[in-house]
Amino acid sequence: MFALIKLIQSLFGALHSEGTPGQLAAGIVLGSILGLTPLLNLHNALIFALLVLLNVSFAGGVLGWALFIPIGFLLDPLFDWIGHSLLLAPSLRGLWTSFYNTPIVPLTNFNNTVVLGSVVFAVLFALPLFFATRVAVVRYRATIGERVRQSKWYRTVMASKVYNVYKMFRP
Amino acid sequence: MKIKIFRWRAIGPLLVLFVIACVLWWLFADSIARRESQKVGTQMLGAKVEIRDLHLDLRNGDVTIRGLTIASPHEPFQNLLQADEIVADLDVVPLTEKKIIIDRIAAKGLRFGTPRQTDGRVAAKSGEGIAGRVLAETHEWASQFQIPVLQLATGKISIDSLDPRRLSTIPAAAALGARADSSRRAWQAALDTLRLGPALDSASATLEKLKRARATDLATLNEARQAIDRLKRARNRVTTLERSVTQGTANLKSGLAGLDSARRRDYAFARSLLKLPSLDAPAVGAALFAPGAIKPFERVLYYAQLARRYMPPGLLPRATTGTSRVRRAGEDIRFPKERALPRFLLRSAELSFLLHPNDAQPQRYAGVLTGLTSDPAVYGRPTSFGASGPQLVAGALLNHLRGIPVDTAGATLGGIQLPAFEVPGVPLRLDPGAAVTQLGFNLNGDTIHARFAIRSTNVRWTRDSGFANSTIGDLIWRTVSGISNLDVEARLSGELHHPDLAVRSNLDQAIASRLRAVLGEQVAAAERQIRERVDALVNDKVGPVRAKVNEVQTQAQAQVAQQRARLDELQKQLEQQLRQRIGLP
Repeated sequence: MFALIKLIQSLFGALHSEGTPGQLAAGIVLGSILGLTPLLNLHNALIFALLVLLNVSFAGGVLGWALFIPIGFLLDPLFDWIGHSLLLAPSLRGLWTSFYNTPIVPLTNFNNTVVLGSVVFAVLFALPLFFATRVAVVRYRATIGERVRQSKWYRTVMASKVYNVYKMFRP
Repeated sequence: MKIKIFRWRAIGPLLVLFVIACVLWWLFADSIARRESQKVGTQMLGAKVEIRDLHLDLRNGDVTIRGLTIASPHEPFQNLLQADEIVADLDVVPLTEKKIIIDRIAAKGLRFGTPRQTDGRVAAKSGEGIAGRVLAETHEWASQFQIPVLQLATGKISIDSLDPRRLSTIPAAAALGARADSSRRAWQAALDTLRLGPALDSASATLEKLKRARATDLATLNEARQAIDRLKRARNRVTTLERSVTQGTANLKSGLAGLDSARRRDYAFARSLLKLPSLDAPAVGAALFAPGAIKPFERVLYYAQLARRYMPPGLLPRATTGTSRVRRAGEDIRFPKERALPRFLLRSAELSFLLHPNDAQPQRYAGVLTGLTSDPAVYGRPTSFGASGPQLVAGALLNHLRGIPVDTAGATLGGIQLPAFEVPGVPLRLDPGAAVTQLGFNLNGDTIHARFAIRSTNVRWTRDSGFANSTIGDLIWRTVSGISNLDVEARLSGELHHPDLAVRSNLDQAIASRLRAVLGEQVAAAERQIRERVDALVNDKVGPVRAKVNEVQTQAQAQVAQQRARLDELQKQLEQQLRQRIGLP
């Protein structure tokens, strides 16, 4: 329940924040990488740092993460296949062998089929997601955004104290 | 409005987060390393790995493990080994490449085969992972051996039902009958096409004419000569047919002989349905000791195959199941490289262990393990192990440097108190007492040569109550109860997928000769009975076919002979008349 409220809060918090559609879309894209790829990996520390340090919507990041976690689970077989194909491609063997025997790089778990497949997918998916989200946010704000903001249930949800946590990182 | 790219105020919280992460690592690193070691160890060996305490000292590159327990992958309530303390000298720099290089391990207080409270098997229950697959494969491998079963307790000989459809004589008889019919038709047709009737009629008419002709009647004389030529040609055709009939009858006779062969095969098949006690000494040895002898081979093969999976030869990328997590584990692909460090390397381990730890004076042993690595081709040297002590000599060499791996192991262990066991097929219990066991194992590619031997001079036999009313049981009991020495040897050789197993013991000959003396009559009677059953099923089919074949042969040969005789007779008369007419003697 808490997770659901948090998700709704983050969704509307992000949509009605003062951030630009681009900031919100960038946050969602970074969040989507966190959600699509296995979380406890070194590259996600970098993504998290970018999400915090760059002036993008943190709420969007949380929203993207929450939205893309189930999608990540669903697409795991696809990621496994992509990773397998890439890691066992004869033309790329030299590159992977070089990476594998270079300090720090193996700590990223790039040699795991699901990790590599999901990262490649998430990176390729980032640009279309960014533009699609930006267009969607613009249309939302131009159409039903104001009506939602004035609604009673919106004010109820946003009055929750949890929302204050997100305010801290509001762009 | 210009939008700032960086959120500088977030650096503080991020740094705080980083510091918290470092503090958490400092606090929980030992615990995390302990859990991960347990998890990875369990996954690799297919049995629970438990560590009471693990301490990481990365600054000095030391890892100390206390209270290590590795359960047996095969026995539910037994440990493979326990160690009081293991101190590893770790090379820290390769950790940045996720490579574990251990320069030296000192293990103290190793104990083997200790009992445990809970079932520590993992692969045997789940069947998952590399260990699970290898365990299933070796189990299947061990189950391929056909071990003869002794039915000595009651001495009963039973016969399974004999299905006539599985006898080969009946279809062979039907086929031969059809061939006989076909031959008969073919020969009749051939005889008809000879058209001997017109030739004989014409020759008879010429003969009559010749009898009345004078010596100057040249036309009649010429006609007689032509008739003789026609008879000769007809005779040649009959000779050809006769050859064909002779060949055909020979084939039919060989068909009859084939029926006899088929019947012998059916006797053999029917005999296989008999549940006879084994009377040959090698079969007795296999029946008594093969089930127990296969186990050590199966276990050594399990570890050898695990070593081959985790230490494969060559430098090609290798896939292993990834670490389990909530998300799909996927596969971890390793990319070994020449002149680089392997993924895992234990350069040297010094082992000190106790055997018979519960005795008043436990025996202390020492062993050395060198070059244990995940990438033998990268490391360039084989893995070797050696241990020695008052009653133990053991050694192993895993050479996975080249394309065809060679695994060799050997051990001689004395003073081992082997557990008493039920002798298969016989309600006898054998307590080998303190025995000397020897194991030799060589797996060269897919060719296996292995030997397992037990020698004991203090064997004790216990008789089961189920033996009470059995003559055979009494006999076996009298045979073995006076034997106090036990000498069992099992040998395995050949292709790994279908090796030959030979088991012999000093009991084989003694039991086999007694068995043969008592059961020989019963076995012979049972064999007679099964032959009679086969005969009863087969005779109804074979008898008519045999008669038909004989009839066809006789009929064809008689017809040919008759025609030939008529031709010969007529030709003879014509030639005689001709000679008289022209005045020759």
